[in-house]
Order: sequence, then structure tokens, then C-alpha cells
Amino acid sequence: MSESTMTAATPAPVEHGRSGVRWVRENLFSSVSNTLQTIVFSAILLGLMRWILGQIFSEEADWSSVATNLRLLMSYNYPIDQFIRVWVAATIVFLMVGLSLGAWKVDPGFSVRRFGSTTLSTGAFLLLVRVLSPEATPQRIALAMVVAGIALLVLGSLVMRAVPRERDRRLGFTAVLNSVVALILAVLWLVPFGDYGVVDGERYAVDGVTVASSTKVPWTLVLILMVAFQVVGRALGPSVGATVRRLIVLFWVVGPAFIIFLVLRDPAFDWDHVWSTDVPMAAAFALGGGGLLYLLSRPGRDELARVIGAVLLAFALFNWVAAFFGWYPMLQKARFSFLLIAFAVLLVPTFAGERAARLRFAGAWFGLMVLMHWLITGINTESTLVIAAPPFLGGLVLTVGIAYYVMLVSFPLGVLLSLARTSKMPIFRVMSTTYIEVIRGVPLITVLFFFSIMLPLFLPRGMGISDLAAVFAGYTVFSAAYMAENIRGGLQSIRQGQYEAADALGLSTVQRTTLIVLPQALRVSIPNLVGQAIATFKETSLIAIVGGFDLLRIANSTIPNQPDFLGQKRPGLLFISLVYFVIAFTMSKSSQRLEAKLQAGQAR
Amino acid sequence: MTDNQSTASVIQVGGRPPLWRNAAVLKWAIQFAALVAVLGVFWFLIVEARTNLAAKGIPVGYDWLDDPANFQLAEGIQTVDSPERRLTMSRALWVGMVNTLRMAGLGILFATIIGVIVGVSRLSKNYVARRFSSVYVETLRNVPVLVQIILWLAILGSLGKLTADSGPIPGWLIISQKGISLPRIFLADGFYQFASMMLLLSVGIRYVNRSLRRRQEREGGEHRVGSKTFALVVVAVVVSWFANPVMAFLGPVFSALSDGWGAIPQGVMQTLLSLIAVLSAALWIKRFLDSRRTPAGLAKLIDDDWFRMIFSGVAALLGVFVVVRGWPGLSSWMVNSGSDLWGVLADKFGGGRGSLPFDAMKPTLSEGRFVNYGDTGLTLSVFYAALFLGLVFYTSSFIAEIVRGGILAVPSGQSEAAAALGLTRSQALRKVVLPQAFRVIMPPLGNQYLNITKNTSLGIAVGFSEIVQVGQTVYNKNSQTLAVFSIYMIFYLACSLTISSVVNTVNRRLAIVER
Repeated sequence: MSESTMTAATPAPVEHGRSGVRWVRENLFSSVSNTLQTIVFSAILLGLMRWILGQIFSEEADWSSVATNLRLLMSYNYPIDQFIRVWVAATIVFLMVGLSLGAWKVDPGFSVRRFGSTTLSTGAFLLLVRVLSPEATPQRIALAMVVAGIALLVLGSLVMRAVPRERDRRLGFTAVLNSVVALILAVLWLVPFGDYGVVDGERYAVDGVTVASSTKVPWTLVLILMVAFQVVGRALGPSVGATVRRLIVLFWVVGPAFIIFLVLRDPAFDWDHVWSTDVPMAAAFALGGGGLLYLLSRPGRDELARVIGAVLLAFALFNWVAAFFGWYPMLQKARFSFLLIAFAVLLVPTFAGERAARLRFAGAWFGLMVLMHWLITGINTESTLVIAAPPFLGGLVLTVGIAYYVMLVSFPLGVLLSLARTSKMPIFRVMSTTYIEVIRGVPLITVLFFFSIMLPLFLPRGMGISDLAAVFAGYTVFSAAYMAENIRGGLQSIRQGQYEAADALGLSTVQRTTLIVLPQALRVSIPNLVGQAIATFKETSLIAIVGGFDLLRIANSTIPNQPDFLGQKRPGLLFISLVYFVIAFTMSKSSQRLEAKLQAGQAR
Repeated sequence: MTDNQSTASVIQVGGRPPLWRNAAVLKWAIQFAALVAVLGVFWFLIVEARTNLAAKGIPVGYDWLDDPANFQLAEGIQTVDSPERRLTMSRALWVGMVNTLRMAGLGILFATIIGVIVGVSRLSKNYVARRFSSVYVETLRNVPVLVQIILWLAILGSLGKLTADSGPIPGWLIISQKGISLPRIFLADGFYQFASMMLLLSVGIRYVNRSLRRRQEREGGEHRVGSKTFALVVVAVVVSWFANPVMAFLGPVFSALSDGWGAIPQGVMQTLLSLIAVLSAALWIKRFLDSRRTPAGLAKLIDDDWFRMIFSGVAALLGVFVVVRGWPGLSSWMVNSGSDLWGVLADKFGGGRGSLPFDAMKPTLSEGRFVNYGDTGLTLSVFYAALFLGLVFYTSSFIAEIVRGGILAVPSGQSEAAAALGLTRSQALRKVVLPQAFRVIMPPLGNQYLNITKNTSLGIAVGFSEIVQVGQTVYNKNSQTLAVFSIYMIFYLACSLTISSVVNTVNRRLAIVER
């Protein structure tokens, strides 16, 4: 609602001839208070812009400190011979973006006139920036601003003149996106940013050439693949339809776990161990367990399933007791898997039914096992736990990775906590409420310190945990409490009738919760969860305080300590502010669009 | 799944199912098992921590609180150790807490002011004001607050050097690399007398205000209740400013109270606390039974109800055990600290106190540095300023969005109806739109206040001596991590509870009274 009133009250900023004068009079000088506001806010705005430009173009600021250290900021000490992994990950992501755009035919469209007015005001803004920028601005950049500003002004007014209001047309979203891609490629290949970088510890800077080909060639390939896969997605969309879309959604839910893992994985990875132990074990549990579940879930085998489940549970619990006393060695993940299969078998009567349902049940188990073993293998390998003295993880890669995995792991925890908090069982409710309120009452930094300092103290002797893993655990514990509160909001919006209807259908408590209550509650809490994802992304900057090399730490202490750029803090900090802003702003804009869409769905 | 089985069997058999299929028994058994498991894990962890600490030779407990601090604080009400004022560990932590609260209070004030201005101007008719505010909000809330704080520190670090004649207004307002200094207003000796007198007078003013308002409601018309009350407040301030030595008689009263409280024997205090535990359990059980009472008499109690009552009884008995046997120090601590509290108050009203409640001092420089604390002006170090600016601007962008949402949430029919009743524009805004907007604004605003309080802990990144930073210095000195973290937790939980109870009270006041 607010959005529509705002746009209704905001006509295009500049109109031609008489109407422009009228617009100015109505919007800027209609009354005494309005005139006063115009003067005060313009003064503040111009002063602030001048000050910010002074910070950016000040004589002390050496922006080549950022340009030279771009690789450090993005992926820290990532081994150069392993860099192909980062590119493969980026390729997969962009390729899937293209595929999704094609398959869904996302086409909100842009008004051509709106495009023209935006171009016009951007041009005017650039000229204003040129006027306000300080003496120290490099001649080349000042000239570029003037040229670009005038070009945009001319382009904008041409568009506005060519498309009068009554014959306004709309541009397709993909067309706009593809022209932006083309523009980026043109800028990469043509604009002489200069080539900055580090080779074997030696810094170099070459002015007047385009960016290094090790950057622009991969980006060109990635972007071209993205455009190509739009076509593929469009071709697949109508013919295969729902299945392809479902697969793409599945990819976006669990895919990032694999992609980020592809990047985060320690280069010194013990592949012999993976092939001889990890993969066979995962296959045994996934296939054997899936088969067992499929066989047992045939209707009428409830009693058998309970007996087998009880035996398995007893065996699994005995494994933990054995682990406690150190009777016989067994990989921890095997113990986990036995416990999980025992619970799954005990759940069989709930999911028993026709063939398709049984297949889905067994398939869900298969997916769970594959995902779990993949993640445990990644975390639990010796070489990944102990991070060598100069950590190779850092920069934007670390920020995004931590944020994503924290959300992924704290989600099930949050669901459980919120269910416990809304349950009718007082002890569960009190325990969950205590946990949530205590965690929400203290600042994140104390939780992080607690985990990085105290966790080693609490562990039995001989057990250790890496710094990054401890910090990750702290983030997860913290995030789960907030997640629980967001989901509780959704749970409370479920009407009593839904519960009664589920009971009337004869569903069990587990079935009622997983099939009726949670799907509706989660749908309601999606906007809040996206908000939390943005908050988590921003909060990852606290890693800098507890010792990780994230964007902030690199900009604030690594770069200013390099002998070439001593004390150069401001350029780096301004640059990472921009990086954070672009990502968080994009997320929040798309969440607003999603919210509007969900509301429209509810209204129908 | 147990639930499923048991309900099924209840339907089949009818009557009382066997114990292992009784839903209530199973429910409580699972809960108790979970409780025992969680407590067991905690017990295990604590035992591990104790052994680990003992192996390192670190004593467990809070005895270290009285040790001398052996370090300096960057800023606060006391920064260094001196013979007349010892800086102990507990004193250092106290200084950190005061710094945190100071930062949080000022931050809340300024973030609210800026946030309200920006939020209202996002709805302005003026194009420049609207665009400026929306760019302000979108920019500031999408950059992490820690990045903003550190960016402010870098920017402030590039300001001019501190010299004798630096500042926009030399001698009064100084802004430099070292920080910002301005005249400081402080609580002088007469403050407590002044405050107690104001308290007394405000009771009278409240009475007058209420009767005035009642008369206005009875007779109608404009009685200028607000301006009359304001005039009375001004008179009260003037009277208490000059006449406050009258209140010195409270000193002996408080010292008598202190002696009386200290004379309470420990046994009496223990009995009192046990009685409170037992009586509150009894009261709860009585209320519970009352809620089950129907016009036809007491409803049949199911197993679940019995479990609840037994559980509350057991909890009360546990409380009694803790008071009497488990932790006898609790009651003597209450006796001693209660007596101390009255003693402190008696000291504040002690004889020979001057009458001036407030006083002011100018900033002073010595050897190119600010004189940090003592008989000098208010100095905000560059760390303080960076944290303050970062917190205020970041939080104000969220508050602006809350204010905008609150005003938009009031249906436009409300202001149209007010206009139809003949209210002027400002009357409509004051009496119709804003009260309703406040109802929407208040809860999320309280959340932002909590956030600002918790975010002061980011001072550790710029070296501002707030509680977390001081605590870190303490445990780096003596390895008492467990104790320091418990202090963090208690302090922040107390802050959260205070803020949320204030917000809840305001909210209850604002709530629509429904018939």
C-alpha cells in the first residue's frame, strides 16, 4: 500500500516546458513550510555530498590500495592454482540464474518513459557530482563524469521525446538484463581501469590498460553462459514444465550448500580416504536405509517396523555409550547415521501408504543421507579442521559462506524451538522460552566470545575445535533463537480450525505438524526470514572482532599494514561498505517484491 | 508417534489405560526425560569446566572482584587507581557498565530524534525532503553497523591535531583527532535533596492535574490543563532549586532504616523467603483450582492437572531447600546489601551538603591532551564519538522506517473524521492520528532501543571502555572467563528486562480500552 501511494505522489521529476515549471512550483515551493523544507534539505544534501566526495577524492586516499587488493578482499589467500573452483562455482550460480529466468519468464517489464527519466536524472546527478567534487579529483575522472553526464542527459531527453506519455511502451526484463550484461562486458573490455595486482608477492600497477585478462575472460564466459541458458530455460519451460521448475527450486534450496562447499573445501583434501571410506559409507546408509524404509512402509507392517526400530535405537544408543567408555572405535558419522535410521524406522507407520508416498519417503531419506555425509566429510576431514597459520579462507567468500551455512543450520533448530515454545507441554515450553529469551537478551559479540573462548574449556580433554568452527557454532546458536521467534509469528497466525480439521482427519501429531501447520506457518514467515537473512549477512562483519579474515578485517587491518599502503583505511572501508550495500539492498528489494507477491496470493 | 498410539488405545479401551499408554503420563515422562537430559548435559559441561580450570590452577568463584585492577581504563567515571579511590576489578566493571548505559541512553535519545524527523519527512509533500530521507534510510540500514562505526573512526582519525586554540569555539567546543570536548553539566551535592523534593511536589502536581482534567471532562470547553500543569512544574523546579536543604532531615531517617534492616537476624530472613516461596506456590494452586471451578462445582481434574500442581509444589519445596540449606549466603547477602543500600541513601542526604543541584565545567587541556575526568568538561573520546555516530545513524534509519509505517498504518478516514468534527489540523494530528500511530510504533521502537543497548558492545572493536571491553581486559588478566561471562549475561538481561518493561507499561497505557 505504501509503495503505491509513494509512486502516485511521485511524478517524473522533470517534465518539459510549462509543466516542468508547474511541477517545481507544486512540489518544492507550494507553501512557506514547503519552501523552507526545500531550502533546508537541499543545503544538507549539497553539504553532505560535498563532504562524501571530499572523502572519496581526498589527496590522502589512495584507491589503488583497493584495486591492487581486490583478490584479497574477495577470496583472501585462496591458492591461485585452485582458483578454477571459484570460477566453477560462479559459473554454476549464474548459469542457474539464467535457467531460472528463462523457465519462469520473469517479465515485470520497465516503462520506457521511466527509463528515460531515470537516465535524465542520472546524467544531471553526475554533472552535479562533478560540480561538487573537490580540487583533488583526477582530471581523467572529472572529464569522464562530464562526458557521461552530458551523454546520459541527451539520451534521456531523446527517449522522453520519442515516447510521449500516451504511447508509452514497456521493455522486457530479460532484454534490459541482457543489455546490462552487454554494457558490463563492453566496460570490462574497453574502459582503461588499469591493471593492478600481485604476482609472487610483487605488486604491480599498469595504468591505461583494461583490467587483467585473468578477470575479464572468465567473467565474459560466465555472463555469456548466463544469456545462453536463458534460451535453454525458455525452451525447456513450456515443454517439460513443472518438473524442471521443481528441480530448479530444489537446486536453489540445497545447491548453495554444495557450491559454497566446492569453494570452502581445503585444497589439501584426502581423496583416498573419501573414496575408500566416505563414499561407500554414504552409499550404504543412503541405499540400504532407503530400501529398508521402502519395504517397511508397506501398509500392515507397523508392528515389524516398531520392533526393528526399537532394536536399531537400542543399538544406536549402545554405540554412544560405547563411545563414551571408548570400547570400540567407530566413525562419529556412522553413529549419527544409525541414530537417524532408528528414528526414521520408528516414523514409518506415519508415512506408510501407497507406492508413490513410500518412494517419496525413501527418497527423502536418501537425500538427507547424501547431504549429511557430504557436509560431515567436508567439516570432519583432518586437514579442514586445523587451519594452517595463514588462513586461506577469508574475504567475501567467507562472509557469504558463513551467512548461508548459519541460515541453513539454524533453520531446523529454529523450527524445533518455535514448536517447543508454542507446545502445550510446560517443561518444553519453559526450556525453549528460557533459551530464546536469554540468547536474544545478550549481544551477539558476547555469544561469539563465549564460543571462541569458553567452548574449548567445556570440552573433555583431548577434544578440540577450530576457531572458525567455534565461531560458526556461536552464530548458529544465536541465529536459531531469532529464527524461532520469526517462525513462532507464523505458527501463531494458524487458526485453531486448521488443528481441529487435522484432528478430524485422524492425523497424528507429527503428521499434523509436518503436513498442515508448518507449511502454512513457514509461508507466512518468509518475509521475516528474508529480513533475518539480511541481518545475518550484515552481522558476519563481527567475525573481524573474533579473529576471522572477513571483508572488514582485511579492509581495516590487512591492507593498512601493507608497506605500500600504510594507513590507507578509508578507501577500503568505503569500498566494502559499497559491497555490503549492493548485496543487502538487492536482497531487501527482492524480499519486498516477494512479500507483495505473497500478499497478492493471499488476497485471491 | 507415542501420542498417536496412546490416543488410539484410549479410544479403543475406554476407562483408564495402563500406565505406559496413558497420554498424560507419557507426555510428562518425555518432558522430564528431556529436562533431565538437558540438566545432565549442563552438569557434565560444568564438571568438565571445573576440572579443566582446576588443572590450570584457576580458582572458581567471585573472590577476585575485590582484587586491584592493575590496568587503566580509557574513559569513564574513574579511569586510574589512586590511594583515595581504589580501582578494583568490580569497580572497573562498574565503570564499564556506566559507560555502556551512558552510550545507550544518549544513543536512544538522538536516534529517536533523527529517526522521527527522517521518518516524517519521508511522507512530506516536498520532493527534496522525500528523496533525501529515502536515500538516507536505504543507504544506512544496508551497511553493517560495525563497518559504519569503524569507518567513522577512520574519518575522525583524519581530523586536525589537538592544540590549545583548536575547535569551532576555542575553550568551549573542541573537535579534533583526540575527540570532542564540551562543557559538562554534573550532579552537585544538593541533587538528592532536590530530587526528593521534586518527587514530593510531583505527587501534588499530579493530584492538581487530575482534578483539572476531571473538571474539563465534566464541564467541557478548553481549560488549558497542559499549560497550567507545565506552569506548576516550573514553579516546583524553582522552589526545589532554592529550598532543597529542607529535605536534609531524610538523612537520619535513612540511617535509622539502615540500622534496623541490618539488625534483622538471618533466621527471620530465611523464614521470610521460604514463606514467600511456599505462599506463591499455594496461591498458584488456588488460582489454578479456581480456574477449573465451574458453576456445577469443581471440574474433574485430569492427570495433567495433578502433574502441574505437584510440579509447582516440588518447585516451592526446592526453593525452600535452596534458601535454608543449599545457599544460606543468600539471606545474609540480602540483609547486608539491603542495609548497605539504605546506608548509601543516608550518606547522600548527610549534613553539610550544599544546595546547588547541578553545576557546569569547561573543557581543559593539559600538555596537548584533554584532561580526562575530574574538574573538567565533558570529553567524548574519538572512540566514543565513532561508536556514538555509527549507532545513532544506523539505528535512526530503522526508527525512521518504523515511524513511517506507523503513520501510514492510521487509516486516512481517521483524519477525515477529525476534520469533519471541526478539529484543526494540529488538533487532529495530536489527538487522533499520533496516538493511534504510537500504538503501532511503540513495540518495534522498543526493540530498536534494545538493539542499540546490545550494539554498544561493538565498542570493543574501537576500544571504547564499555562492559564487554572492560570484561575482556579483566579475563585476559586473571582468566576468570566463566565469572565475567555470567556478569555480562546478568547485566544485559537486566537492561533488556528494564527496557521491555518500560515499553510494555507505555504500551498498556496506549492500548485501546475495549468494552
